[in-house]
Amino acid sequence: MNLVSAELLKLRTTSLWWIFALLLVPLYGVALAFNWLAARAIGALGPEAENISFSSFSVERIVGNLYTSGQFGGVLLVLLLSAILVTNEFFHLTATATFLTTPRRELVILAKMVVSVLIAVLVWLLTTALNLVLAPVALTSTVGDTHLGEPYVWQAIGLNLLVHVLWALVGVGCGVLIRSQIGATITLTVLYVVGTQILTAVFALLANLVDDSILRMRIIIPTLASDLLVSGPQSADDLPRWVGAAVLLAYAALAGALGTLITRQRDIA
Amino acid sequence: MSRPNYAEISVDRLTKHYARMRAVDDLSFTVHAGRVTGFLGPNGAGKTTALRMILGLVTPTSGAATIGGVRYVDMPDPIRQVGAVLEASGAHRGRSARNHLRIICRASGLPDQRADEVLALVGLSTVATRKFKSFSLGMRQRLGIAAAMLGDPRVLILDEPANGLDPEGIRWMRDLLRALAAEGRTVLVSSHLLGEMQQLADDVVIIAAGRLLRQGPVAEVLGETAGTARVRVRTPQPDQLAATLRDARLEVVATPDGLLRVSGADAARVGHLAFTAGVELHELTGESADLERAFLDLTAGKAGAR
Repeated sequence: MNLVSAELLKLRTTSLWWIFALLLVPLYGVALAFNWLAARAIGALGPEAENISFSSFSVERIVGNLYTSGQFGGVLLVLLLSAILVTNEFFHLTATATFLTTPRRELVILAKMVVSVLIAVLVWLLTTALNLVLAPVALTSTVGDTHLGEPYVWQAIGLNLLVHVLWALVGVGCGVLIRSQIGATITLTVLYVVGTQILTAVFALLANLVDDSILRMRIIIPTLASDLLVSGPQSADDLPRWVGAAVLLAYAALAGALGTLITRQRDIA
Repeated sequence: MSRPNYAEISVDRLTKHYARMRAVDDLSFTVHAGRVTGFLGPNGAGKTTALRMILGLVTPTSGAATIGGVRYVDMPDPIRQVGAVLEASGAHRGRSARNHLRIICRASGLPDQRADEVLALVGLSTVATRKFKSFSLGMRQRLGIAAAMLGDPRVLILDEPANGLDPEGIRWMRDLLRALAAEGRTVLVSSHLLGEMQQLADDVVIIAAGRLLRQGPVAEVLGETAGTARVRVRTPQPDQLAATLRDARLEVVATPDGLLRVSGADAARVGHLAFTAGVELHELTGESADLERAFLDLTAGKAGAR
């Protein structure tokens, strides 16, 4: 508890947190506007819309997206902030003071994981609160119904929390592994923003060269796992939701455990 | 909670190999409580690496270091046992001095008010809320000492604490460290400023190229290495005086310009011998042994011996 309190104080006493809070505003705004427009498009189709179901253009999908607006940006910021919680210590040379105070370094990493989860919950609370106010407005003005009674809406909101938390843990783990602040930030941003496209292409290439069954392995791409968790299987071949969660959790555990082992051994000079 | 009010630092065959060099090589020494121990060596001698190993920040290749019989990494409350000042840049640039200290308080379960107490101790109360990046090197050193004093530790370890301090700051630091040692605390201070160490330290540990050269009380190390006192004497009758002094079993070296270097006696004895022999003197200077020369004698040719 002492260490969590210390980590929270570290976060509160620099300008980092409000820079991230400021970044969240436009990211959320764009996401909301996009989802609002999608709802309008569906509203324009009228009652037939319920029968339409392309992979990413169903009423359920769009309503769910609207109630989880800001997920893309929120998760990205949680991921980066979680990594920076760790890399900051090396970037600002505070690791010496930190590890002198707490020589059991794994406890420091653990406290940072707790704080990253708290950040994830806070960001989720913030965007969800806004969504619960704005999404019903958007939906009544477009499709004419808030859909708040639908269980899938609440499932989407719950899963939204889960992805925030899982990516926060991935962030801490990667921050420990990639000690360089700039290196970690760039790697994670690229991985998160365009990782799906790049890595899917890599898997397609591999499948072409070796064997088609490799393509099924692409679920180990973290962003695809995240999509599976949030959207559920889109076709009969797709794996169930929990596999997505398991993959993300495995990344967090692997990066966290490996990083903690390295941190324990590493010379702080 | 009762605890022994003193603790020794014990370094036992400590060794750190990097890919291409032995930063610290089979180093053993003991630092006693109630005394200030100077940890001396030329730049690159391995002082910082040794101190970081004692504090569990760098893992030794072999050997061990304990404080009060316990390894630093095994201490449940290290901040209350050991205070360390390692580098003057160890705080986040955008954070205030008080918040930097409060974070350490939180992590170690100390009350937040300790931050203000130690800021007052080092004379930084008026700048407590200023950001670290606005601090001068001297203020950063003081903040480092403040952080080290948070847990009221019985052992203090400081790496080059005089760096960046003005003469007044150096005197302040010397008085503080002497007072802390007088309370029975163990104080280990690394430095390459030898003159400062001669005024501050009770004991010295001298290393070069990662190896121990000498350890002991300052007076003893001076006696061993600088040998006996030396005297410079100038006279219009150098041959006569040299003969007289050699009769008295003193070692004399004559220089071409009529100067004699005498070892084995102090200025009073040489003056007396000259007087009784009726030799006229133009100059008589005692060269007292000093740490600087002892240090140079000891480390000569060893600094580059990696």
